[in-house]
Amino acid sequence: MAPISNTLKLGRFRLNLLGIIYFVIAITILIIWLYPLFLTLSTSLKTEIEILQSPLALPKRPSFDAFFKTWELLGFGSLLKNSLIIASGSVFIGMVLSSIPAYAFSRYQIPGGDVIFILLLTGMMLPQQTVIIPLHEILRRLGLLDNLFGLMIVHAAYGMPFNMLVMRGFMANIPKELESAARVDGCSDFGVYRHIILPLTLPAFAVAGTLNFINIWNEFFFAIILLNSQSNYPVTVGMITIQQSRYFSAWNTPAAALIMAQLPTILLYLLAHRYITQGILAGAVKG
Amino acid sequence: MRALQSSGGMSESIQDLRDGLRHVWLGYRQHQFIYLAGVGLPLLVFIAFVGIPILYTVYLSLFNWDGIGIQKTFIGLQNYQTLIVDPSFLLSLKNTTIWTLLTLLVPVSMGFLLAIFLTSAQVYMRGTIRSLLFLPTTMSLVTVGIMFSLILNPIFGAMNIVLRNMGLGFLQRDWLSDTSINLYTLIFTYAWLWVGFPLTMFFAGIRQISAELYETAQIEGANVFQTTRFVTIPLLRPVFTAVMVIAVINSVKAFDLVFTMTRGGPYGRTSVLGYYMYLQAFLSYRYGYGAAISVIILIISSVFAYVYLRHIAGESLHGAD
Repeated sequence: MAPISNTLKLGRFRLNLLGIIYFVIAITILIIWLYPLFLTLSTSLKTEIEILQSPLALPKRPSFDAFFKTWELLGFGSLLKNSLIIASGSVFIGMVLSSIPAYAFSRYQIPGGDVIFILLLTGMMLPQQTVIIPLHEILRRLGLLDNLFGLMIVHAAYGMPFNMLVMRGFMANIPKELESAARVDGCSDFGVYRHIILPLTLPAFAVAGTLNFINIWNEFFFAIILLNSQSNYPVTVGMITIQQSRYFSAWNTPAAALIMAQLPTILLYLLAHRYITQGILAGAVKG
Repeated sequence: MRALQSSGGMSESIQDLRDGLRHVWLGYRQHQFIYLAGVGLPLLVFIAFVGIPILYTVYLSLFNWDGIGIQKTFIGLQNYQTLIVDPSFLLSLKNTTIWTLLTLLVPVSMGFLLAIFLTSAQVYMRGTIRSLLFLPTTMSLVTVGIMFSLILNPIFGAMNIVLRNMGLGFLQRDWLSDTSINLYTLIFTYAWLWVGFPLTMFFAGIRQISAELYETAQIEGANVFQTTRFVTIPLLRPVFTAVMVIAVINSVKAFDLVFTMTRGGPYGRTSVLGYYMYLQAFLSYRYGYGAAISVIILIISSVFAYVYLRHIAGESLHGAD
C-alpha cells in the first residue's frame, strides 16, 4: 500500500514510475513462469532438424507436421474422444446427483444436517489411494472394470461433495421470499426446487461443472487403475503409452501431443476463468 | 447433544432418543422428496463409495491377498509389522514428509508473497496476471510431468541449455537421475504447477479485507511489512489453514508426477507413499500390503481433513450464511 503521489490517471490505471517498475517485475515473473509452456508450444511447431540446430529459437516457419503425425500414429482422436466422454458424462451424472442435496442442506432443518454434510465432504478430501483397492474389486465384480461408464460413476460420486458445496453456496443467496411466495401458491418441495431453485442456480452448474470437467479431464490415478485397454484410455493414460513409444525420440511429436492433450482445458480456462476461480474459492477443498 | 446434557438417567435419555426419532420421522413425512433425494441419496453414495471402501481397505490390510484368487489369509497386524521394517516403505514415508514440508514451504509462501506483491503494489493488470499464473494449475500432472521430463533431459533438455547459455554451466545436472536432487526436481515441478492455487486463495482473501483497515494502518504510519504482519496475516488465518491442509493432503496422495517422471526410481529413491501403495497393490499384486499403506495414508490425511472440515463447519455452517 505504498502511497502513490504525482500519478497520472490513465483510464483506470494510475501511471507512475514505481507503478511501471512493479508492472515490469510482475510481467517478468509471469514470462519466466509460463516459459516452459511457451517452449513446448514453440517446439511442437518446429521440424526435428530445427530443434537440433537451435533448440530454444522460435520456429522459423511454423509447421503442423508434428501434430498430424501424433494424431495419426498415436490414435489421438480416440484418446481425446474418451476423455471427452468420461469428463462430460461424469460431470452430468455428478450434477444430477448433487443439486437436490445442495438444496436440502441449504434450506431445510434436517436433524444432524451439519454433521451429515461434513461427513459427505470428507469424501472429497480423502486421497484416492484410500479407496482404490475396494473400488477396483467392486467394479470388477460388477463387470464395470475397464468400462467408461464404470469410471464415470466413480468420478461422479467423488465430484458430488464439491458440486454440493458450490451449489449450496449459491442457493444460500437466493432470497427466501421467492420460496415462501411459491409455497403460498401451493408449490410442493419438488415444485419449489424445480421452478425456483433449479433455474436460479444454473450459474452454479456452470461454476461447479467447468472445474469438475477440468479435474476429471486431468485425472490419472483412477483412470490408469480402472481402465485396462488401449481403446478405453483417456488422454492422460494415453500420454504414458506415448511416452514409452519410439516417437518419443524426437522432441516435436511429444510436444505436439502435450499441447493437444491440454489444449481443451487451457481453452476452457481462458474462456471461463472467472467461473473456475469462483469454483476454486467456493469449493476450496480440492486443490 | 440433548442426550448428553440430560442428567436424569436412562429413562430420560431413551425418551430423548424417541423424541429425536419422532422428529426425524415427522420431518420425513412432511418432506419426503427432500429426505429421499436430498439426504438419503448422497448418504447412499457416500456409504457405497467412501464408507464401505474405507472399511474394506482397513479390513484387507489384515490379510495376505494376491487380488486374483478368492482365498485371503488372515495374518492380523503382520502387514504393519512388515511395513515398519520395510526400507522402501520407510524411504517413501521420508520422501512424503520432505514433499509435504517443501510443498508447505515453497508454493504456499511464493503464492503468499506474490499475492501481497500484486495487491499491495497495486500492480497494473494484477487480476489478469493472477489468472495467467493460475493456468498451470489447470493442467494435468501427467502433461506437466512429461513436459518437464523433456525440459530437464540432461542432453537435449532446455534447462541445461539455458544454464549453459547463461554461463551457469556448472549448475547443469541430470535432474531426474541424480539421486541427490531428483526428489527436489519432482517437488519443484509440483510447485510450478500448484503455486497458482495458494496465490488465488490469498489474492481473493486479501481483496476481502476492508480497505479501511489498510487506510488506518497507513495513517498510523505502518509500512508494507508492518501492514502485512499485523493486518493481512492475522485476517488471512482461515485461508492459511485451508491452503496448508490442502497442501498436506495433496502431498500425501502425490502419485502422478512420480509415475510420469521417475517411476519412483532410480532404486526407489523418489518413491512416495501414494506411489508405493500403487506399486505394491497393482504392480506386485500384494493387495493386503497395499491396503496397509493405504491405511497409513488414510490416518495422515484424515487428521488434516478433520482439522479443515471443522474449520469449514465453523465458517460456512454457522458464520457466513
